[in-house]
Amino acid sequence: MKKISVRQCGMIIVMCIFANKILLMPSLMYQQTSADSIFVLITLFLLDFVMLPIFIKLKESYPDKKLYDILKDKLGVVITKIIYIAMLCFFFFKCLLVFSVTYVYFKQQIYQDEFIFMALIAFLPVINHAVISGVRAFSRTIELFFGVVIAGFIVCLVISLFTPISTPDFFISSGKEFFSALYNHIFAFGDFIILFLIMDRIEIKKGQAKRLYFYSIFAMILVVILFYLFYAKYQITAFMHNNALADLLVFSVQFNAIGRLDIIAMLTIMFITLFQMEIFNYAFCDCFVNIFPLLNKNYSIVVFDILFCILYYVFIGRYETMVTSALFWLPYLAIVINYLLPIVLLVILIIRRRKIEKKDKNLV
Amino acid sequence: MKRKIKILFKMPMIIVFIIILLFFTPFAIYSPGENRNRGVVTALGIDRVEDEYEISLLTFIPTANQSYQEKSSVISGKGSSVAEAIYNAQIAMGRSVGLAHAKTTVVNEKLLEEDVAASIDYLSRVASLPENTVFVCTNKTAKEMLENSQDLVNDLGLKLEQVIGYNANNLYVTDTSLEAFYKGYFSPTKSSLIGYLTIEDEENKSNENSEISSPQNSGSDQNQGTQSSGGSGATNGNPSHIVNQGQAVLLKSGKKVAVLNIDQLNGINILNPKSVNQIITVDGIEKNGQTISLQYKIKTKKTLVSSKFENGYPIYIAQLVLGVELVEVDGVEDSLKVNTEFSEVTKEIAEKIELQIKRQFTDSINILRECNTDVLGIARQFFFHNRKEFMKFLDGIGGEEAVDKFIDYVTFKLNMVVQPD
Repeated sequence: MKKISVRQCGMIIVMCIFANKILLMPSLMYQQTSADSIFVLITLFLLDFVMLPIFIKLKESYPDKKLYDILKDKLGVVITKIIYIAMLCFFFFKCLLVFSVTYVYFKQQIYQDEFIFMALIAFLPVINHAVISGVRAFSRTIELFFGVVIAGFIVCLVISLFTPISTPDFFISSGKEFFSALYNHIFAFGDFIILFLIMDRIEIKKGQAKRLYFYSIFAMILVVILFYLFYAKYQITAFMHNNALADLLVFSVQFNAIGRLDIIAMLTIMFITLFQMEIFNYAFCDCFVNIFPLLNKNYSIVVFDILFCILYYVFIGRYETMVTSALFWLPYLAIVINYLLPIVLLVILIIRRRKIEKKDKNLV
Repeated sequence: MKRKIKILFKMPMIIVFIIILLFFTPFAIYSPGENRNRGVVTALGIDRVEDEYEISLLTFIPTANQSYQEKSSVISGKGSSVAEAIYNAQIAMGRSVGLAHAKTTVVNEKLLEEDVAASIDYLSRVASLPENTVFVCTNKTAKEMLENSQDLVNDLGLKLEQVIGYNANNLYVTDTSLEAFYKGYFSPTKSSLIGYLTIEDEENKSNENSEISSPQNSGSDQNQGTQSSGGSGATNGNPSHIVNQGQAVLLKSGKKVAVLNIDQLNGINILNPKSVNQIITVDGIEKNGQTISLQYKIKTKKTLVSSKFENGYPIYIAQLVLGVELVEVDGVEDSLKVNTEFSEVTKEIAEKIELQIKRQFTDSINILRECNTDVLGIARQFFFHNRKEFMKFLDGIGGEEAVDKFIDYVTFKLNMVVQPD
């Protein structure tokens, strides 16, 4: 099986870290915790970051094994399937949330009228094709456009420096507000879970693991800077701006003469969304194939498309419902996937280590 | 051929691509141009006429021509709400309204008698209106303002947002965009500042300090050295002009509380390092036994602001270093006129400049105090740097609700160094 390099894996992580954090989240968080949202963000990033060493250790212990096989060996088929069903839902809703937020952004920026049909036709075949082609194919695509995406992101941040900004007011919110914000926004995190799913397809040579840390920290710093500049720029009206990365480019009388600079943000967001949906769709299909081993990837894609269209159109996909769900009931799912699963994996690692140590002792 | 079809069917993405092409190409070919359905609005005016809103849209309708001249027209609609008025304007225009290019929003003064945020709620909800749209108030109707602005564009190539943009960069503490208005509106002191452009009839124009008028009816204006361009948009039949005197409207909770003139704005801006080029007149200077007056221009400005509590009372300290340049001598002192290098600032001159600036600043602070407004962000400065004492002090004067009265209790200390630039 052809594997992806650590560099490609790092780029996948960067895209996942950007997911659901660069448009709506800064504004949503501000409503709860004002500029202290930056501390909420950093806390959630730190909690996420703990997963990376767990992944690296797991990969070192089981270099060529799939997560499914590891879990099946240790926990049995039934529990493994339950975990995979939870992960399937997790990635499906993540994909739906990414699409909802971006769709509303593009609707505001370009078309103004409903264009869901067109958006689905534009997105679904591309992401389906990426999934069929496999993780190596879409990670190479990400690698190709990575420079453009990061350049676009940084340009958005830099341009905001040309408009008046001032330090936001920190330490305003109470502990209760802080912790409720932590809970409400958990679903947008858990970005390293994808690594566990594709662990058998990643090739990590000796000494290369630190590159994963580099990419993760790099993406996290970019998101923190985005939050800071967004709050520094808008301050008290941050709650009115739903598209943080794009809104950094607008609102300046000086830039009125230049015209619509937000085209830079539009292109960046378009690429990022596409890659995120590819990754989440892939994760969904991988979970699906493991839950139903008799059905192949093509079936999983068809199921994904049908579910996606139905749920988007009929129920969840309505923007307000989707966002409310992501804030209130999807965090339950996120707690299981983001924190319980890595803890389970950590326990597996510890037990394995003890067994090895025991064996070594017996041999001695 | 058969083999080729087989290969084709082995690659389903090509089939999907062909289906999409087949499906959308006819639509793309036969669908009408976007400009047939949409009118591009470049400026928006809101008036309150009796119990109704009147929305005026300065609309650019793209048409093919060889002169490269944009043709704009003002289209208006009335309704009981802004949304309804825009809907009626759409019907009048025969196109849907595209607000993404609206760079100016004008409201008339009457609208500011009540909370203007309620009137512009529609605009803040319609995400397609850019937040950097300049927010301006006018003494007459917004419709007249837009009609006059058309003449400005036709005759001078000057757009309304450019006129107010100069003020934003040089006079106001903040810019006067819709966003800046909301920032002030949602701040604890609920104070904001928006631009103010007046429309004057031909008869009244001699009273004004500055105006933007039209060449076709202003031969004498050119002799007086005023900038010339057009104006015939008055609805009462008299030619009228947009007059920019650098004024601004001070708002408290979205309601007008004062119209600030240029001197008051300069006073407010004295701590704003970006605000330079202000002219200071120093009268009564004795030189070789003669009394002359000198005009100085502030060329550079450095400010350092700090805050503290002394005996439980807030003290706001500003250090100001002004670089000034002598730009005009008014009197009969020949040596000064000949020696243009005379830009030395004597102790007497420095003291007089300092006194004048302090007076200006005190006047402006008094207005802010009278109106319970704080566009300078004094309360924020204390909140930021002396939070504990500030909160304690607020509790003493009536809690967080009384934050807009905080400025009444602040002692301002302005230390100034005036030096030649």
